[in-house]
Amino acid sequence: MMLKTVYNSLQNFPISVILLPIILTFIGMVALFSISVNQFGVIAITAFTKQLLFMIPAIIGFLFILFIPKYLIHKYIYLMYGLILVLVTVPFLLSTIAGTHRWINIGLPVAFQPSEFAKWIVVVALAKYLSDHNLEMKKFSTLIFPIFIALLPAAIILQQPDLGTALILLTPVLPMLYWVGSRPFHLFMLIAPIFSIGTAFHTVSFTTWAIIMGIILYLSRPNIFFGIIFYFGNIFLGLLAPLLWNGLRPYQQKRILTLFNPELDPLGAAYQTIQSKVAIGSGGFLGKGIGEGTQTHLKFLPVQESDFIVSVIGEEFGFITIAFMLIVFAFFIIKIINLAFYSKERFAGLVLIGIGTIFLSHVFVNAAMSTGLIPVKGLPLPFISAGGSFLLSCYIMVALVLKMGMEPIE
Amino acid sequence: MLKSKNLVPRGRLLIAYIFVCSVFSILIVRFAQIQLFEYNQYKKRADINSIRAVPIAAPRGMILDRNGLILVDNFPTYILTALPNKVNNNNFSIISNCTGTDTSILKNNFKRYYRGRFIPSRITKDLSFDELSCIEEHKHQLKGVDYSQLPERSFPSKVDMSHVLGYVKEIDRSLLKNIDNKQDEYEVGDLIGWQGIEKQYENILKGIKGVSYSQVDAFGREAGSVKGIDNIKPTPGQNLFTTIDLDLQKTMEKYMSKYRGVALITDPLSGEILSFVSSPDFSPEIFTGNTTLHEWRSLVNDPKKPLLNRITNGLYPPGSTFKMITAIALLEGLMIEEEEIIECSGIYQYGDRLFKCWKISGHGKMTLNQAIAQSCNIFFYQAVQRISMNRFINLCRNFGFGNKTGIDLPTELTGLLPTRDYMNKRYTSRGWSRGHLLNMALGQGDLLVTPIQLAVYINKIATKGKTYTPHFYLNKPPVIASEINLKDKTWVNIQDYLFNTVNDIDGTGTAANPQISGVKVYGKTGTAQNPHGDDHAWFVGYADDGKNMISIVLLIENGGSGGKVAAPLAGNAFKYYFNMSSERMVLNDVKNSI
Repeated sequence: MMLKTVYNSLQNFPISVILLPIILTFIGMVALFSISVNQFGVIAITAFTKQLLFMIPAIIGFLFILFIPKYLIHKYIYLMYGLILVLVTVPFLLSTIAGTHRWINIGLPVAFQPSEFAKWIVVVALAKYLSDHNLEMKKFSTLIFPIFIALLPAAIILQQPDLGTALILLTPVLPMLYWVGSRPFHLFMLIAPIFSIGTAFHTVSFTTWAIIMGIILYLSRPNIFFGIIFYFGNIFLGLLAPLLWNGLRPYQQKRILTLFNPELDPLGAAYQTIQSKVAIGSGGFLGKGIGEGTQTHLKFLPVQESDFIVSVIGEEFGFITIAFMLIVFAFFIIKIINLAFYSKERFAGLVLIGIGTIFLSHVFVNAAMSTGLIPVKGLPLPFISAGGSFLLSCYIMVALVLKMGMEPIE
Repeated sequence: MLKSKNLVPRGRLLIAYIFVCSVFSILIVRFAQIQLFEYNQYKKRADINSIRAVPIAAPRGMILDRNGLILVDNFPTYILTALPNKVNNNNFSIISNCTGTDTSILKNNFKRYYRGRFIPSRITKDLSFDELSCIEEHKHQLKGVDYSQLPERSFPSKVDMSHVLGYVKEIDRSLLKNIDNKQDEYEVGDLIGWQGIEKQYENILKGIKGVSYSQVDAFGREAGSVKGIDNIKPTPGQNLFTTIDLDLQKTMEKYMSKYRGVALITDPLSGEILSFVSSPDFSPEIFTGNTTLHEWRSLVNDPKKPLLNRITNGLYPPGSTFKMITAIALLEGLMIEEEEIIECSGIYQYGDRLFKCWKISGHGKMTLNQAIAQSCNIFFYQAVQRISMNRFINLCRNFGFGNKTGIDLPTELTGLLPTRDYMNKRYTSRGWSRGHLLNMALGQGDLLVTPIQLAVYINKIATKGKTYTPHFYLNKPPVIASEINLKDKTWVNIQDYLFNTVNDIDGTGTAANPQISGVKVYGKTGTAQNPHGDDHAWFVGYADDGKNMISIVLLIENGGSGGKVAAPLAGNAFKYYFNMSSERMVLNDVKNSI
């Protein structure tokens, strides 16, 4: 009986879910090794050895989550949600590290970043809320509370300030709502204001957006009165956007600005984008070879071991490795979506969709930032970037995927 | 409600697939765009990014005398540098112990040459071997401290002609801002000619810097050499042959060492400057090595003003040496007969002023010839009244007074030629009279000249107006000094008068005659009154032996009588020069016969 259970669970064990992250971790390790060997023979602590050490808590966290019964997670997630709200607030009471309130010093050589864990805790909490209540997903008002669940920690983290992580917290909300059956038009209403603001600074874009919004409204045929209010509300918001713009922090303004005109600030955020593009572009198809990346090793690249690790890989291992890496990511995320689709429980399916979204948005933001598609956001690449809290968080999410993906053991 | 059913329509799965696939497609296309299609562009940028060109200093050209003897050479010295990101206070005290230089000086230098956190900054220079070995012993404590060679100017000939040679200055940050429109050619730490020939012929002497390519990171830190790119070797500056005759220069410096004054020997036929002594002088070595503030202050505050280049920047009344202007104006304007006699009683009244001759008893009856030879003042007080002020001033100008001569040194004064406009401004139009012209005829009054102007003046007389601008650069085609067209008769007469000055028994310049057979000497003495002290003693003249011709301008400040003080020195100079040139000829003959 016991043996049969183990056999069954092994048979159902989605092996690729664990295999693909290992491949990605390996790519990351090679890249970190390449950076580290050139730090002039210093044997002590390099990004590579640090990352090797970080694998220990990551594996422990992975196994820990794997062996916690699913129902316990389901039962105590609100408690954990409360706990994480406290934890992301604690850094504000402590002294700043690197000028921000992101980290908590836990007496180890490395600091602990609670906002990393907020990502999956928010997903699981949302999944619980959306699956436990028999919600009328077709009603717009139903959407308000789930959004609030994500918005609360995001608002706190935004103050740390950590715009990247705050945005990542919000990304799973829409896919999860869609997954449980919200009307796409309602979700469109949620993101419409963002576009209204985004296009507000450019007359042609704003006009185009106003036309698109009109067409979608016409096709969706909402209540006439509501439609008019929604439409002109958005237009008004767009007109108000310049005022909101002034409310942004200067570094955020700068980041957004430099996306549109990278030459504005050659040594600031755009400097990083330009250097990163030069590194990636000069790698070509096959790359320059391990340890041969001149841009990497001559330190033209900032934070190359975490946020700009893609530049190192692109320069030294070339397009072929980048493409391989992206395909591995794609397979991994498709696999998670598949598991979500075939999952028998709504809770598990929602957790999977949420985690899939988090991985996807990390990959997209990181790669798009490194190639200058979007402004520089301090977001690491899952499994590959150096960083203890993030690696632990990633492997916890892998454990959650395994947990939710495997058929329930009854 | 863990068990809520997960009922998801297939359409949603499809949408999710499409979404994920399009996200990854965008990323892959973007990477392909950068890495495959724009590869060349980024490759080029990456190469520029990582390679830094570091200039290698080119050794400056040597400065040689006319015979190829070395006046200025390069001498390798050791300098000590420190990397700003590694150096600390302890390092400075170790270096201070080794070199005996105060730490405050070391730190001051360090700040002066600071160019960035990762660029070595110079701390001290001119390290001796002992100092180097001391540094080497403490090497393990001195991370980031290094020494390297730097060519420095040296002066093997031991002449003191600092005013001519000038000096080089090392460019520091404040200096770099002050270099006119050539800032991109120089860097902190480069040498630049700052005075004299070093400055004048900077472009010839400086050479072309080489380039050493090295890999650098974004912080400018070097990280090894670059494969596939060769360094460019520096092109040394060209050697510059000057017109200076080292032997003559040394001799003249010796003669002049007792005096304050000027000894300038030029070749009227070419404009070449053979000897250039502005005394007191100082050794050009003062500008190399670590000059102490004390040494420098003593130079600056010396009442004898050794830093003043008296030949180009000293302003003096020319005294009687100026009388030839009047004589030429008279001869050229046919306003005087050669045999015309004017009486000198030793005193002459003009208006309500009394003018005196230097010979109190008076010279008696004088011709123009005698008036020049014996330097009679009364004769010229009277004769100059026949000339209009404008005519007189124009003639002065034609001889180069009131203008720069164009000598190839960076600074030169124009002197003061008091024109009508000048006099009106200074004294108002009623405040001055022709009495002032009387003064000017004798080279006194407001008139001020530089010795180099007098050299051009005497050279023009020596060559009948066809001389060249005085210069130091031997191989450059000489520039004709502004031409002056006078009747040949005028030139011949003036030359006769000058010959008589030196050769007549009554002549004031007889002491200038070296009594060498075949050498004809011409000249004029001057004893210039000046408001600041005793009279200045002048001698201007020239001599030729049929082959060579040299001219001399000799000034002894506050030396007294030109005939008694300056003329004998000129005589010695002529003697030395013509004996030396005949010796050299003998030597050459010997060489040729071997």
